[in-house]
Amino acid sequence: MQQFAGRPFVLLGVCVGGIDAPQLEQMMEQAGLTWRSFVDEGDAVAGPIARAWNVSATPTFYLIDHQGVIRYKWTAPPSAHTLQTALEKLIAAAEQDASSPP
Amino acid sequence: MHGIRIGSLRRAVLAACQLCVVWSVCDAHPPAAPAEQYHALRQQYDRAASSGVPLTDAERLAFVGRVYKARSELAVKFLKLAEAHPDDPIALDALVQAVWQVNTVPWPVELVGEDPARARSFELLVRDHIDSARLAPLCLRVGNGFCQEYESFLRAVLASNRHAHVRGAACLPLGHLLYHRQQRIALCKEQPDLAEPFARLYGKEYIAELMRQDPQAVLKEAEGLLAQAAAEFAAVELPHGTNVGERARRELFELQHLRAGAPAPEIEGVDQHGTAFKLSDYRGKVVLLDFWSHV
Repeated sequence: MQQFAGRPFVLLGVCVGGIDAPQLEQMMEQAGLTWRSFVDEGDAVAGPIARAWNVSATPTFYLIDHQGVIRYKWTAPPSAHTLQTALEKLIAAAEQDASSPP
Repeated sequence: MHGIRIGSLRRAVLAACQLCVVWSVCDAHPPAAPAEQYHALRQQYDRAASSGVPLTDAERLAFVGRVYKARSELAVKFLKLAEAHPDDPIALDALVQAVWQVNTVPWPVELVGEDPARARSFELLVRDHIDSARLAPLCLRVGNGFCQEYESFLRAVLASNRHAHVRGAACLPLGHLLYHRQQRIALCKEQPDLAEPFARLYGKEYIAELMRQDPQAVLKEAEGLLAQAAAEFAAVELPHGTNVGERARRELFELQHLRAGAPAPEIEGVDQHGTAFKLSDYRGKVVLLDFWSHV
């Protein structure tokens, strides 16, 4: 993910493990995890965000373009090649839009 | 005396050997009843997946291949059993077992081998058992797969079975199958190197035909089937305490709001530091949203 630093891309988590913010903060700090993550409280994989997004298992990934449209969904980790190809394509489109006058 | 005894012993042994030959010609044991044959095959089938030792990734992959191949070989035997006893009630169990292995993961065909019993087994299921009250578990199972036969089987059940609980158990997975297959085909269109293993595993013609389908028409039909399942078959019970209505509504929501091409639903919440934020705060950036868990 470092290779996309400085480009219009962000990794956001939704922690659906049923823990609250202080517990998540402590766990992520100990594990050295730095991405920003929504906290989905309630039972594991049964919090309001997991329910609204129909998530039934982890990991589930959605790749959303710069206009807020879902472009890919993976219910298992995609291969590095698949992810790289998809990211490169969407990030390039975001950069193109940002550089062209409105 | 002694000579005679040896001679008669030899004759007795020879006679016994001949008897053995005769026995083996007409089968060493009296033939087992179809149900007993089914249960013997079923034991082998269930044993094929028991490994018992921790496996490395490479070993696990080889294991997956062995299980698929062993079960495909047993599928041929289940099919033969059903063909030999078409009027026995066990014929249906044997055919269901012949197609029970559903390829939810598109493993390479080099790893898992061919599945030679599948096409004929579905032919017989449709020919002899389409009105059975016992088809629901198979319908629910094949909805997660990708093979050509699954779609035509589910369509036949939905059109011809007279039991509402079976038709409901076909309607929901047919919508699920059409929707998810279309999503995979869309990925294949974008990345042709993904399409090739699919074509090798499921048939070149079949994949080519799916590529030619109009995606919007497929999605529309899938949506219609899920809506039908939610309206007409809502009360049909499913395993794990759920029912067709509940599952169909969830799938319908996913198709309408969470599929590739749909605007991402807003998320409002707090991060690990307790700071409030929204998904739409990141408009203008590409977002990889990772639903994860610490366990």
